Amino acid sequence: MNLRDKLRAVGGSGQPRNPAAPENRDAPLDCRHLSEIRPPEEFPGAADLTGETLALMTEKEMPEALDPRKILYLDTETTGLGGSGSVAFLVGMGFWTDRGFEIHQFLMRDYPEEPALLRHVAAGLSRFDALCTFNGSTFDVPLLESRLLMNRMDRTCLGLPHLDLLHLCRRLWKLRLGRCNLGRLEEVILGKPRLDDLPGSEVPQRYFSYLKTRQDSLLEDVLIHNAQDIASLCVLLNHMADLYLHPEKIAFSEDVYSMGRALEKTRHPENARRCYTLARRGKMGTEASRALAVSYRRSGDRERAAGIWREMIARRQGGAEPYIELAKYEEHVRRNPEAALALTEKALLLLCEPGLEDGSAVQEMKNAVQYRYQRLQRKLKERNA
Amino acid sequence: MNAAQLADLLRHDTQFMKNVTRWEVIPSRPARTLPFPACMDERLKPVLESRGIHQLYTHQVHSLEATARGEDVTVVTPTASGKTMCYNLPVLSAILKNPDARALYLFPTKALSADQVSELYDMIEESGAEIKTYTYDGDTPAAARKAVRQAGHIVVTNPDMLHSGILPHHTKWVKLFENLRYIVIDEIHTYRGVFGSNLANVLRRLIRLCDFYGSHPQFILCSATIANPGELAETLIGRPVTLVDDNGAPMGERHFVFCNPPVINRQLGIRQSSVTLTRSIAGMLLKNGIQAITFARSRLTVEVLTRYLKDMVRDPLGEAGRVRGYRGGYLPRERREIERGLRAGQIDAVVSTNALELGIDIGALDACVMCGYPGTIASAWQQAGRAGRRRGTSIVFFVASSAAVDQYIVTHPDYFLNRSPENALLNPDNLYIMLSHLKCAAFELPFGEEDSFGNARGVGEMLAYLEEDAGILHRVDGRYHWAAEDFPASDISLRSAASENFIIIDITDPAHHRVVGEMDRFTAPMLLHENAIYMHEGRQFQVEKLDFDACKAFIRSVETGYYTDADLNINLSLLDIEKQGKTPLGGETALGEIKVTALVTMFKKIRFDTHETLGFGPVRLPETDMHTAAMWWTLPEALSSRFTGDTLKNGMMGIANLLRIVCPLYLMCAPTDIAVVYQVKSPITGKPTILLYDNCPGGIGLSEKAYGMREILLQKALQVAEDCSCEQGCPSCVGPVGEVGEDGKTTAVRLLRGLIG
Repeated sequence: MNLRDKLRAVGGSGQPRNPAAPENRDAPLDCRHLSEIRPPEEFPGAADLTGETLALMTEKEMPEALDPRKILYLDTETTGLGGSGSVAFLVGMGFWTDRGFEIHQFLMRDYPEEPALLRHVAAGLSRFDALCTFNGSTFDVPLLESRLLMNRMDRTCLGLPHLDLLHLCRRLWKLRLGRCNLGRLEEVILGKPRLDDLPGSEVPQRYFSYLKTRQDSLLEDVLIHNAQDIASLCVLLNHMADLYLHPEKIAFSEDVYSMGRALEKTRHPENARRCYTLARRGKMGTEASRALAVSYRRSGDRERAAGIWREMIARRQGGAEPYIELAKYEEHVRRNPEAALALTEKALLLLCEPGLEDGSAVQEMKNAVQYRYQRLQRKLKERNA
Repeated sequence: MNAAQLADLLRHDTQFMKNVTRWEVIPSRPARTLPFPACMDERLKPVLESRGIHQLYTHQVHSLEATARGEDVTVVTPTASGKTMCYNLPVLSAILKNPDARALYLFPTKALSADQVSELYDMIEESGAEIKTYTYDGDTPAAARKAVRQAGHIVVTNPDMLHSGILPHHTKWVKLFENLRYIVIDEIHTYRGVFGSNLANVLRRLIRLCDFYGSHPQFILCSATIANPGELAETLIGRPVTLVDDNGAPMGERHFVFCNPPVINRQLGIRQSSVTLTRSIAGMLLKNGIQAITFARSRLTVEVLTRYLKDMVRDPLGEAGRVRGYRGGYLPRERREIERGLRAGQIDAVVSTNALELGIDIGALDACVMCGYPGTIASAWQQAGRAGRRRGTSIVFFVASSAAVDQYIVTHPDYFLNRSPENALLNPDNLYIMLSHLKCAAFELPFGEEDSFGNARGVGEMLAYLEEDAGILHRVDGRYHWAAEDFPASDISLRSAASENFIIIDITDPAHHRVVGEMDRFTAPMLLHENAIYMHEGRQFQVEKLDFDACKAFIRSVETGYYTDADLNINLSLLDIEKQGKTPLGGETALGEIKVTALVTMFKKIRFDTHETLGFGPVRLPETDMHTAAMWWTLPEALSSRFTGDTLKNGMMGIANLLRIVCPLYLMCAPTDIAVVYQVKSPITGKPTILLYDNCPGGIGLSEKAYGMREILLQKALQVAEDCSCEQGCPSCVGPVGEVGEDGKTTAVRLLRGLIG
């Protein structure tokens, strides 16, 4: 038995294939480059995106005077899900210009073209001020970093300020939608479902087939899929920017409440309170009211906070919490322990209502309220004595 | 009483001495030391001096100096001889001199790494240096991993994690790979067989990546006493090593007592059970307050002995914490607690499987009892080494079972005392294993057509195969690129056993189910089938349900007077024949690949104390499969037709028993590494066949070696039978008469003569 037969016995034999004819490559290699321009009307608001609007959306350091034409939208198609054996065979990059949205795609037709592809990517990145991806912080960027490293190329070009839309979208829509992949967002948020799209899981196999057969048609879907991803990034970012500027346009209480939370993360309490106020009308009413009151309290406006807690009591929202919070307000701000005691008593009664789930959180709350109740009683006794 | 006094007492006890076949005293040995060598960083001196170390043992100095000369070093040291200094000192010196330097530590198990790292932490803390040591294994939290990759000076891990967690993601470990100065591999004697062959290939991948990043790490390897530490090390790392084996650590006087249980049935040649004699010796040590470890060969015996000993010392509340069992299935937390208890002297007696053979730090004990021969001389010395303080006397008892090898050793103690331990064999070029790692290597970094893979041969052809036949590599411009979606490292387990373990859940308290242990996939059908009595810490449980697919066993506490023992059925089928030959009289002999299917079909209930069989029960579980190498002889028609069915079967059983004794000796392997079976009508050949196979997936070359020396093996088997003084068979040759029948020995001898011609 020769070695090849043994190997076949051990490893099984797949479909033998004809080895590709050796290609003559004397000229310095370049990868394939495709480009297109999509009309401006497909990207509403793209021209008006400002650094201030972005600052509402992310707490990350972004260039101060941001030019919307200096954001690079990037997406890769890869041969696997990670590890040093996965290669980005197609890198698409898009950016806004005065003529519309330009998309450039760099495709390596075979492995020797990888350095050329990476050189284009590095050169592209160096011309922009910010990077925008979908899940790029955990996937595309580390993968490109790994590829640059393995080709012994400089990796500093990947250090651009980076806006990962996956994280920003999750902040806004996870509460309502659960999973936030790009396809779902296009369908539900942008109202443009993709038809005949190539599932991402089929991409690697398409490329391997292409390597063996050299049929350009195999990659057509992949190229379309990639270009669409990049265009969607820009549309999505500008759609979000519009919502951040005009939260009253948001139809769902969950979304506008989520935006409030997101704005607190980016330290814009006033914008956050605007969202909470809007969200109080919908099904997140209780949570939004609560968040609104807490936000007022944090910013030092105890009167407005107390007003919200009172409204919540009137609307029977939030269980014992508004009573407890108002009790704190009466005791410490208004210096009125009698009112505080009365409110604490009500809170205690509510907490003892049957039917309330008797979890450890409730028990803890009960203990705290009990303690407060006794403390207030002592305080009053001492004062009256 | 101390061990010296006990030894004195026993030597005058005529009743005890009746069972002793040899009493060997190994004299004490003084320490040999040298001053701190110049290559050791000055800043480490106060650290060592604060621990009362003012000189180093000779072997430590020699290994430090060889390392400083830039050589790859292998240090051979028995237990408790300060081997960790041999690698910690050069590593710490290097990092103190250059804070960018990095080191990688590999330990075969997590338990070992936890142990050795705690010592390293102490030294670093005392030195006051900013040296970060991290353990990177399956338990490392995801949040901490980034820090380990970026900042760890010393990364402690195991071969499995290196293989699937580090190498495939090498671009995240740039700092480590660019600055890797030392690779430390401890306990290299454990890397034999499949595990070793896998590790050798993992190291080929590691070195290949270091080349890419421009680092040239040196190896520091440590081994227990085996016959070929240098050869093992060189095979593992694929380059020459400097061997340091002049142990300078002191050792107190040691008594080595060979005990053979008395014969209780002279006609049948049946001896008292080794467990019974072990129990009385261990009991005596416990009563006299001599801290001792007892080694038993199976998990079952461990539990039975633990129970006996616990019963001796139970307090009014039924607690017996001074006696503990220790084996693979216990949870890590429980094991750490037992190890601490032993070190602190809170535990007087521990009963263990070979799990405690490895360098886990339990301190040195006064006495050791070996219930049965552990299979190899190296293992036996490792176990014996658990007893042995640097000062004072220690005592080791070897209690022979009725197995042929045990009987041979107890009646020929010189064979054991004078013979060098076994060779550790591994085969980095095992096609099955190497091909798997070549895939991983190609994933990690493309291969040039002329690239080498360690010192492996046939790399070019294998790469071409992976491209043209398997279609997972893509060749272009003379380079092979990984061109598949999979992550090859995830499909390959470095250890022969499957990675998936069974979890054992105690459901005695319905409100509070708790996990009490785990067990590997191959052992589970034997010990965790439904209605099995599972023993844990000497308590009995009955297996209520075994969920094979979910890998869970549910057990409930019971009190029974019996334990269970399962019967294993092995089936063989042919995959491929590689070599063929003829024997005289027209028999055939061949080397090939087979599939071994193991199936448990029934179990026996056996009463404690008397060991009588009380009844049987069925087991309904799926089979487990293994592909491996095998070689065999068929009996030619002209020979087999001379005997009737039963006689032929008895003779073949005799030959198989003889080969089981001879093969490990001549193939230089452990008895468990190779299996010998006989089949009156073999499904492989259709004829009466004697077959031996490598007892691990893919094989490690034992069958091939056996095929090469097949005539010698038969001659030696014949010689053992002819030289044996018994008439009709005994456990030391063809097997006892009760097993092979009255005509077993003569038939075996006639068949062997016919086969040899």
